Amino acid sequence: MIQYLPIFKKMLQKYPGRNRERQNALVTETGDSPGMAKGMITGARGDTHDGYKVRLSIKTALGKDAYQWNEDEKFLFRATIAFAMRAYTKDESYNVSSVLICNETQRVSFWIQVKRPNTAIPVQQDLLEKAIISSRNRINSAFLLSDKTLEFVGITSTLPSPIEPSYPVWLVVFGVVIGIVTLGIIAIIVSGVLAKKRKIKEIEDGDELEKEDNIVENGIYCGVLEIKEGVNNGAFAHEDDSLTKL
Amino acid sequence: PIFPSSHNSGSSARGHLSIPRMVQESRPSWDNPMQFVLACVSYAVGLGNVWRFPYLCQMHGGGGFLIPYLIMLLVEGVPLFYMELAVGQQMRQGSIGAWTAISPYLTGVGIASVVVSLFLCVYYNVINAWAFWYLFHSFQETLPWAECPVNGNRTAFVSECEKSSPTQYFWYRETLNITSSINDTGGIQMGQALCLLLAWLVVFLCIIRGTKSTGKVVYVTSIFPYFVLIIYLIRGVTLHGAVNGLKYMFTPKLTELANPKAWVNAATQIFFSLGLGFGSLIAFASFNQPNNNFEKQAIIVSLINSGTSVFASIVTFSIYGFKATFNYEACIDRMILLLMNSFDLAEGSVTTENLSDWVTRLNATYPEQFALISPQMEFCDLESELDTAVEGTGLAFIVYSEAIKNMEVSQLWSVLYFTMLLMLGIGSMLGNVAAIITPLRDWQLLSRHLQQETLAGLVCLLCFIIGLGFTSRSGNYWFAIFNDYAVTLSLLFIVLIEILSVCYIYGLKRFEKDISVMIGHLPHWYWRVTWSIVSPLLIVGLLIFYMIDYITGGTPTYQAWDELQGRTVKKEYPPYAQAFIGILVIASMICVPLVALVTFFKRKIQQQSLFHSVMLCKT
Repeated sequence: MIQYLPIFKKMLQKYPGRNRERQNALVTETGDSPGMAKGMITGARGDTHDGYKVRLSIKTALGKDAYQWNEDEKFLFRATIAFAMRAYTKDESYNVSSVLICNETQRVSFWIQVKRPNTAIPVQQDLLEKAIISSRNRINSAFLLSDKTLEFVGITSTLPSPIEPSYPVWLVVFGVVIGIVTLGIIAIIVSGVLAKKRKIKEIEDGDELEKEDNIVENGIYCGVLEIKEGVNNGAFAHEDDSLTKL
Repeated sequence: PIFPSSHNSGSSARGHLSIPRMVQESRPSWDNPMQFVLACVSYAVGLGNVWRFPYLCQMHGGGGFLIPYLIMLLVEGVPLFYMELAVGQQMRQGSIGAWTAISPYLTGVGIASVVVSLFLCVYYNVINAWAFWYLFHSFQETLPWAECPVNGNRTAFVSECEKSSPTQYFWYRETLNITSSINDTGGIQMGQALCLLLAWLVVFLCIIRGTKSTGKVVYVTSIFPYFVLIIYLIRGVTLHGAVNGLKYMFTPKLTELANPKAWVNAATQIFFSLGLGFGSLIAFASFNQPNNNFEKQAIIVSLINSGTSVFASIVTFSIYGFKATFNYEACIDRMILLLMNSFDLAEGSVTTENLSDWVTRLNATYPEQFALISPQMEFCDLESELDTAVEGTGLAFIVYSEAIKNMEVSQLWSVLYFTMLLMLGIGSMLGNVAAIITPLRDWQLLSRHLQQETLAGLVCLLCFIIGLGFTSRSGNYWFAIFNDYAVTLSLLFIVLIEILSVCYIYGLKRFEKDISVMIGHLPHWYWRVTWSIVSPLLIVGLLIFYMIDYITGGTPTYQAWDELQGRTVKKEYPPYAQAFIGILVIASMICVPLVALVTFFKRKIQQQSLFHSVMLCKT
């Protein structure tokens, strides 16, 4: 059982938070994922108005098929962001060179910043956000990831609304069951009424003989009693009439 | 007219004599003794075996709890069960008639039993309604309690659901639509009302023909739950993490036995689990053949009942273990993600094993950053997950549905589980309703004017209408009142009066002779000792304990659901609710002295008028 510093018991708030995180260039620990450029020179500092932090969880998403994050992948990423900008703004001058990547860490997280084509002016934050949202699916699939494993910190993804059937399913099942039960009750009541009517008819057809089914007296059925015209009761019968008759 | 169970139209002799109808029409009876045994099993084995017993085990030291449980079974449960069956089979009437036959002053005991059974019927069927609701909602692609619904603009989940959990949200919001306190009544929930209607229709269908219909139904309601329990057992022990739950339950903590509460809870559990004092056992036994060997059957049913409790708790604890392990591992995963994201560590560097090392290291190296995320740090502990006290109907619905949603093919498991709950609940309801209808039917006044079906229908209708109160938005709070107070104290009182009157008013010797006529031999001295001394003392002890508990407990409180926080908060009952609790508790107990007084005065008046007429004759 793992026990560690018990700090607080509060439930985890949903990640990612809305406020942009201020990140200093973190010198990472002794890295052990090869092919990852370590300790990037502090390029664009994470300022509150400059691009987004991206976080990838490749190993979580792909497990054994995880690919290495290297320069080629970075290139592809910059290309997809440029594609997103092109698709959204319909401006074909966006290029891979417009997208900057900096502050990479071993987590595989980094900051991206998009500059207007052929200028050094960064693109508006909202514009970038909208562009990313509109091409989110394409960006995800380019890397075989999903909204959860390819996070843009600060951009909340719209959750897929759960598939709701057009009619409440439970009412259908309920209707079936209650229908069966009601039919059963009606059937039993009706059969009881019919049996009673039949019985009354039989009694009327027959003589004054009362239908004493199952009426028991002294452990003997009354019907049997009538047929036999009496039963010998041993308690009162004297076999031994040796006593004198008075 | 009472419909006899078998038609014997053998008399073909045409009448010369018409024998007047002076004899009693024969009482309906079970088709065979097996039906009676299964009816008792079906009645005794109920929801308490599945939910309350595992909870008590967990609270009182796991396997060690079996010791007080078995002792109480032998000393209290079986003897009292035996006694009730004997009374019913001997008197061949429902509870009111049976106790009147023992002594006319004891009619009140029978009436008190009927009142208590009425309370029970009214609120117990609501559980079946909930089981129906969950059952019908299991026929969906994803179980509705598996995920939170999203809010209006699809940016996040509904906040109440976020703060609690999808299963709790489904229970409190979508099923009950509960208000925040017992004072806000809210309207009647249509879905719940429909399910309650269905539950009562099903019960009506099962009892409509008396023993004829009940006798057939109990084959299903008593045997089906065992199938499901076996399937669940196989599935349960193969679940990942089930072993943790089983180890937790079966490691006996014998120190708990020193706690008197463990013994009190064991005695109480045996008492209520066997369904003593409601009059259902008397009602069922009254339909027996006079020479039915109920001694053997009493022992068998009691053992089956307790065995089922232990069996069900094995299943329950493997499921708890699975759920606790699942939650614990999810908690660990969340912490790993938190650390990785906050400190940009490589994936796979933080694992379950080195998590604690990482935490200490990071806290030392980056204290300010660590302080920033410390509000989100959780303490992941498997023991505390297993410890979460699970009791009561709502919590049990929540916990089981939480475990089920994480299994493969969860729809199938859900359907199986809730059908089993239904079988258990309906089986118990059959006994509860029989306890009301049988004595009413024996009452000549009613049976002359009303047919059996009509009487049954009226009782069901009455209980349904009263039960609608539990389908309102605050209904679950009233349900808790009934569940906690309506039957507990009254039942102890009723059974105490029962055993004392059988032993000392009717006479133990006379009782033994009646039994020997029925089963062929005198009961063993063990029964004599337990009936006359041990059981009454035990019950008196329990009564004293509960009184002290009520008195020293202070204002009774309840758990109210706070939708803003997403959890339950403790609130005190308002004065009118406390008054209602008092009425509930007193209402049944007061019947005993009240009716005894009425009978006493009636007899006095009769004696006086007899005396006067004798005097008149003399002059």
